[in-house]
Amino acid sequence: MKLRARPIAPGHATGTALVSPAPFSFVGGVNPTTGEILDPQAGAGERLSGRIFAFPQGKGSTVGSYVIYGLAKRGVGPAAIVNSAAEGIIAVGATLAGIPLVDRFDVGGLRTGDRLIVDGTRGTLELPDVRAVHVVTALLRNQGRILIVRRSEKVGSFRGRWSAVSGYLEGREVPKTRAVREIREETGIRGAIFRAASSPVLARDDATMYVVHPFLFDVPGRRVRLDWENVEHRWIRPTDLDRYDTVPRLRDVVAAALSTSNSKSPTRTRSTRRPRPR
Amino acid sequence: MRLTKSQRHLLEGGSDAQRQAMRILLALAKLSDADRLIPVTGAHVSGASYKMIGDPGLEFLEDAARDARVVIPTTVNPLGTDLQQWQDLGIPPEFAAKQERIAAAYERMGVRPTYSCTPYHLGTRPALGEHIAWAESNAVCFANSVLGARTNRESGPSALAAAIVGATPEYGLHLDEGRRPTVVVNAPVRPRDLDFSLIGLVAGERVGDGLPFFRGFRGSESDLKWLGAALASSGSCGMFLLEGVTPEARRASRRGLPSISITRKDLDEARWQHTDGTDADLIALGSPQLSAEELRDIARRVERSPPRIPVWVFTSRAVREANPEAVATIERVGGRVLADTCLEVTLLEHRFGTVATPSGKGAHYLPTLCKQKVILDRIDVLLERYA
Repeated sequence: MKLRARPIAPGHATGTALVSPAPFSFVGGVNPTTGEILDPQAGAGERLSGRIFAFPQGKGSTVGSYVIYGLAKRGVGPAAIVNSAAEGIIAVGATLAGIPLVDRFDVGGLRTGDRLIVDGTRGTLELPDVRAVHVVTALLRNQGRILIVRRSEKVGSFRGRWSAVSGYLEGREVPKTRAVREIREETGIRGAIFRAASSPVLARDDATMYVVHPFLFDVPGRRVRLDWENVEHRWIRPTDLDRYDTVPRLRDVVAAALSTSNSKSPTRTRSTRRPRPR
Repeated sequence: MRLTKSQRHLLEGGSDAQRQAMRILLALAKLSDADRLIPVTGAHVSGASYKMIGDPGLEFLEDAARDARVVIPTTVNPLGTDLQQWQDLGIPPEFAAKQERIAAAYERMGVRPTYSCTPYHLGTRPALGEHIAWAESNAVCFANSVLGARTNRESGPSALAAAIVGATPEYGLHLDEGRRPTVVVNAPVRPRDLDFSLIGLVAGERVGDGLPFFRGFRGSESDLKWLGAALASSGSCGMFLLEGVTPEARRASRRGLPSISITRKDLDEARWQHTDGTDADLIALGSPQLSAEELRDIARRVERSPPRIPVWVFTSRAVREANPEAVATIERVGGRVLADTCLEVTLLEHRFGTVATPSGKGAHYLPTLCKQKVILDRIDVLLERYA
């Protein structure tokens, strides 16, 4: 599979992934002369050399930029960096070091050991051993509540779990078109107003990557007519989502759809340029 | 991204340092969705204390100094020690030697050896609307808020890149829309001296990276320096507005903004929160460095009530040399006036355990950067207590 990301620092690299689920500081997080990871959350004992280092974002002192530079100079730096949201420390450090950097890529879908190909010039990330399954999720909102539905025993995956309205993308279908169709089929609701699309959330299942394209729609009413795919529905507050047994990463998908700041994504389609009411 | 002909030339045909500086500015422009670089008239670089940047920073700066030259007037932040008094202070010679190499690298690049966090006290006072590229959070806050100049919160390398290219990405506080207030902060507390630091500490914590519009008090330029320094420490604000005082406050629209209040009780709590020491080894004044007037004021105070513990006063080399009498007075009572360095970036931890200070910024950083316990209080209270 190959996905788009935002190119920040140019260059091309191939390597195996080292993934930190938490924000990372190059000051204190790594031995600056050997490239050995010290931060337990980032895999203490691992070495950065030749790896594609993926973490959500940088944190800590701006001296981190110099540490990245020094690592590269000694030949023990990472081959490339992938961030969910890059910030100045990492961007400056990668640039000084000549290390390719891309961001706006959900590192939650990557696993340490994945084979990765990063293109920091064009902004792509390839996982040759992983198959992508594209899914749209339409978050329906009505006066501060969102709709969740429980999947029936007849569907192919995640039976009995809570989800938002969703469906597989077929062929070269435009994600938003599929989202609108799923709303009609699964809920019978008409007149849904498109509000935002955000960059994909990646839900990993071994060699399969569910690439979830989140969409936010406002709907005029709460009357729902379920089809065969779901057996139950509820309008809940987004904060109550924790109480439900959901499909993987639903909370992140909901957060992405609800955050307007995240809406400038590589998947943006023309229609999403409409001004969004705040 | 639109580049001018000369910017494109630097990117493609410049020296190694120029091409690298251009690449840094372009990466930052991409991060912030800026679509061009705009000229800046001056730069202020941070990252000069060996204690802060260590060997990785020293290595980078010496590499860069091989061919990097700044093309606009550029000042630089304090070092990790006073270059002329380090031996008296018990600074390890290896530390001092590396510190001198950092200073030499900056000087080779053409940076003015100011070693000051208060360039605005040293004649560098950009005009209303002037675009600059400053690092050092207190200086950024002062330039944007009090002078009305325009700078983002640059990091050391990004300010240096701007100094080498003479331009910076246009986004954030360079644009009118980035300078609009995001929250109204009512503080009818009749503040004086320490209170300005406390207002800054409280507001920074509540506002985060927002842009506060303060109401309900007034203050001198010196007062606003202490407020801004604290605000930029506990929060990540790059600018504030103060009704009736700062130059851009009058035009700012507050319509529809959320509002918060700061009371006398909040200020007292902030003072207690930043006080975890019981008995101080040192009274320290700085963070940011003192102006000439502030230095002379301290000299008068310590002359009236000489403290029984040492007083260290941090200022710039220029201010120290222009005020020999004040320096002599402070030294006479057992104090020191240190130049080239400042409170939290200097080496203190080898000698002291608890520091008393009237600086909100100092109180914020001393526990982590200098491993000190802190007593935060007014200077007259401290001098009375340690008389």
